[in-house]
Amino acid sequence: MDRAKRYIFILILLLTVASAAALPYVYESQTLWYKIGLDKTLLRGGQLAGMFALTLLFTQIVLAVGGPFLEKGFGLKNIMSWHRTNGVLVVLFALIHVFFILVPEGLDNLPIGIKFWPEMVGMLLLWILVVMVTSSRYRGLLRLDYRRWRTIHKPLGYLATILVVVHVLFVSDSFVHVVPRRLFIVAVVALLSRVVWVKVYAQIEKKGSTSVN
Amino acid sequence: MKHRKILVFLLLSLFIVPVAHGANDSWELDKAHSNIFFSVDHIFSKVNGHFNDFSTEVVFDPKDLSGSSFAFTIKVASIDTNMSKRDKHLKSNDFFDAGKYPAMVFTSTAVTAGDDGLYNVEGTLTVKGQSYNVTLPLVYAGMKDHPAIRGKEVAGFNGKIVIDRLAFAIGSGKFYKMGVVGKDVEVFVSLEVVRSKQ
Repeated sequence: MDRAKRYIFILILLLTVASAAALPYVYESQTLWYKIGLDKTLLRGGQLAGMFALTLLFTQIVLAVGGPFLEKGFGLKNIMSWHRTNGVLVVLFALIHVFFILVPEGLDNLPIGIKFWPEMVGMLLLWILVVMVTSSRYRGLLRLDYRRWRTIHKPLGYLATILVVVHVLFVSDSFVHVVPRRLFIVAVVALLSRVVWVKVYAQIEKKGSTSVN
Repeated sequence: MKHRKILVFLLLSLFIVPVAHGANDSWELDKAHSNIFFSVDHIFSKVNGHFNDFSTEVVFDPKDLSGSSFAFTIKVASIDTNMSKRDKHLKSNDFFDAGKYPAMVFTSTAVTAGDDGLYNVEGTLTVKGQSYNVTLPLVYAGMKDHPAIRGKEVAGFNGKIVIDRLAFAIGSGKFYKMGVVGKDVEVFVSLEVVRSKQ
C-alpha cells in the first residue's frame, strides 16, 4: 500500500470535515440568530451533524467509485469495509441532524407542505439513506441477491447525491453566502470529476487490456 | 289522522319561517378577496403576514343588529410571512404552538352601531385555549349588486385592531424583552361577502 496516497486522501478528508464543521459558526444561519439557550445549542448541533453527514456522503461516493489512487493507498478490502461503516455513520449523523433541527420548534411542527419543499427533499433523502444502509447490512436477512441489491443500491447512491445537493443549496441560508456556496459547488464539481475520471480511466484500462489480449 | 299531520306540519313551519328568514341575512365569504393581515415590529422594521386559511360566518343586517353576528375561525398553521422558516418558528411554542392549538376562534356576542358606518363587534376571542373579551371595530363599506356575478349582492367590511400578543400568551415575552419582536400586533380584517339577491 502506498503510504503517501493514504496520507493525501486522509488530509483532504480532514480539511473537508474541518471546513464543513466551521460553516455553522463562520456563516451562521439567520434561524440561529433567533434561537436562545438550549434551542440554539440543539439547532447548531443539528447543523453540525448535517455538515458531517454531507461530508461523509460525498466521501461515500469517492469510496464507492474507488480507483487506483485509493486502492493503492488503502487496499480494496479496507475501502469496502470503510464504505460499509461510513454508510452507517451517514445515516446516524443524518438522524441526529433531523432530530436536533426539529426539536427546538417542536416535533408536532413538522415542515410539511409545498413551501417547505427543500426540507421535504431532505426527508426523502433520509428515507433513501435508511433504505440503502438497511438493505446493505441486512441483505441476507432480506433475501436480496447481490445483483438485485447492486442494481438498486448504485442508482440510489447517485440519487442521494443529487438530493443532498438540492437540499443543501435550498434549505440553508448559510449557503446563500458567496464563499460557502462556491466552495460547495467546487466540491460537487470535484466529486463529479472524480467519478467521471475513475469511470473513464477504468474504460480505457479495460480497452487497453482487451486489445493487448 | 291526515288533518292532524297537516296541523303539525303547519305548526312546525311557524318555527321554520323565522329561521329561514334569518338565514337570508347570512353572507358567504368571498375568500379570494378577503384577508386577515397582521403587522408587528421587528427591532426597527415591520414584519407583515397573513393567514391563508380562515372561515367566517357572517349574519348582517344594518336594520337588525340584534340578529347580526360574526364568527371567524383562523387556522394557525396557515400563517404566512413570506418566509417558510419564520412561519415554522411562529407555529412553534415560542409563539402560537400550532400543534397544540390549531385554531383561533372569534365569536361575536353583540353588534352595535357607531359613527360613520362603524360597527363594534363585541365577542370572545379564543387563543391557545384561553378566551378573552375583544371588540372588533368593523367599518361597513356598503352593499350593492355584485358587479361580476348576476343575481348576487356583495357587502364589505374593513377593520383594524391592535392587540397585545403577550396578553394572549402568544409568546412568553423573551423576544420582546430582547427588543426583537414587538408586543403590539396590528390586525387588519378585510372581508368581502356575497349572498343571493334579496
